[in-house]
Amino acid sequence: MAKPSNTIQPPAIPDILQKAREDFPILKRTVNGKPLVYLDNGASTQKPQAVIDVLNRYYSNENSNIHRGVHLLSVEATSAYEEARHTITDFIGANDDSEIIFTRGTTESVNLVAHSFVEPQIQAGDEILITHMEHHANIVPWQLLCERTGAILKVAPIDENGALDLEAFKNLLSEKTKLASFVHVSNAIGVINPVAEMIAAAKEKGVPTLLDAAQSIQHMPLNVKELDCDFLAFSGHKIFAPTGIGVLYGKRALLDEMRPYQGGGDMISTVSFEGTTFKEPPSRFEAGTPHIAGAIGLKAAIDYLQSIGLETIARYEEELLKYATVQLRAIDGLRIIGNPAKRAGAISFVMENAHSHDVGTILDTEGVAIRSGHHCCEPLMKRLGVSATTRASFSFYNNHTDVDTLVSALKKVSILFE
Amino acid sequence: MDPKDLYKQTLLKHSKSPHNEGELIDSTHQAKLTNSLCGDEVTVYLKIESNSIQRATFTAQCCSICTASASMLTQKVQGLPTEEAHYFAQKITTQLQDKDKPLVLSADDELQSLEGVKQFKSRIRCATLPWEAMLASLASSSE
Ligand SMILES: Cc1ncc(COP(=O)(O)O)c(C=O)c1O
Repeated sequence: MAKPSNTIQPPAIPDILQKAREDFPILKRTVNGKPLVYLDNGASTQKPQAVIDVLNRYYSNENSNIHRGVHLLSVEATSAYEEARHTITDFIGANDDSEIIFTRGTTESVNLVAHSFVEPQIQAGDEILITHMEHHANIVPWQLLCERTGAILKVAPIDENGALDLEAFKNLLSEKTKLASFVHVSNAIGVINPVAEMIAAAKEKGVPTLLDAAQSIQHMPLNVKELDCDFLAFSGHKIFAPTGIGVLYGKRALLDEMRPYQGGGDMISTVSFEGTTFKEPPSRFEAGTPHIAGAIGLKAAIDYLQSIGLETIARYEEELLKYATVQLRAIDGLRIIGNPAKRAGAISFVMENAHSHDVGTILDTEGVAIRSGHHCCEPLMKRLGVSATTRASFSFYNNHTDVDTLVSALKKVSILFE
Repeated sequence: MDPKDLYKQTLLKHSKSPHNEGELIDSTHQAKLTNSLCGDEVTVYLKIESNSIQRATFTAQCCSICTASASMLTQKVQGLPTEEAHYFAQKITTQLQDKDKPLVLSADDELQSLEGVKQFKSRIRCATLPWEAMLASLASSSE
């Protein structure tokens, strides 16, 4: 079969992104003597100087515990932490700061919903609906819940291109479904799900929804009021902020009815051995000293991102992904896994004679960082008939030179393993 | 780092056309191990009679290093007393994992081609996985 042609112009870099790359100090380093080409943004994104500076400033000047002391440092730390919450409220279009719960990341956000929202109201025989392309973080918490309660995990199928079967998803929604939880953008293959339709269909049946936005929030504008999801989860480290901080958004009316997640300080109103009363959301769900610096870093990352604009980022990344797709398709023996109509973030592929792990090592010797393996999506990999893929995942600081370096490194792989 | 230090000719030869690949229908011992880092999977099948390995085969879903290591393993241990196979498996895994010491096998041993992994930390387990699977297989009770 003739290979498709690879004549495509590299995308023009918008003015505002021209300098963005310089904002990320790590992108100046070398790996194995070669300039770093960082294409593992799906796993974690790099941090701009603005975020690093804020962390430095916080620990140098403001560090203290929050919601506790009357002294100045504590007051400053508390207000910085709560300001961070407010930035997120605005960023995702929530109604009120009380709808933003700080967690450790997407994984904890999903577990929180499982424990505090679903578990108290679920009975044996009830159902949770997910899709076949979920990250393990949106599979395993539900399996554990089902084990504890006798509920049943239902999985909406996908086709061989990796696209969701929307009709099947709709048909799996019923009065037994206690929650539909699904990924917005697949971390493994970059598919964008038709989440507006999915949420609308769930609404129609009275089923609450949790959107895993771990791989969409950094690539496109997102608004929880427009989407009308009941919950939304994302991780700070995938949106240019530190690890160990993440967000669960929940509609206030639902949060009000939910039981605490963990017990401890900061989440109680009064404690006595006769009984304890809990605070209102969001504090009810934030037991113990949180990752204060992480929350402040997350605010800095979002401020930075908004100074560029997610529309600009989305448009540029779409062009960059198109360019990369055409270049990759032109490589002999390379097959792209997942062929979505709409893609964001990632391109996954396999090479005829080289295992993804070998591809990863050779790319590393060329300074190119990608991920190989099952991407925490074993069921998806099985469905698509592969055990592992190589995944290049992009961010706005990547450019066509990164793609070209990736492509020439892959050509070396082909030669070594031909 | 040069990938050619890792992907030596002998290793590539074994990964492209591995020996003794396939299930062993009359195996007496078998064990499957997974590298949770990458999802690689290796099963080692042994047919043991009178404390000696009559046949060794493997099935795998894994990278070239793991495949080559498994292929050479089956050739190496076939015919060995179980105790000797056990000793050798331990020796080679320890040597591959020890960054301060070289891999020293007899001069004509094809397994020497695995030594390149010592420079590529994330790939050491790829080479040791089949050996660990064989040790697990030896430890599995025969049916
Ligand atoms: C789609 C998706 N969901 C959930 C997660 C889990 O995120 P974290 O490990 O930050 O909790 C990831 C991370 O890879 C992801 O890509």
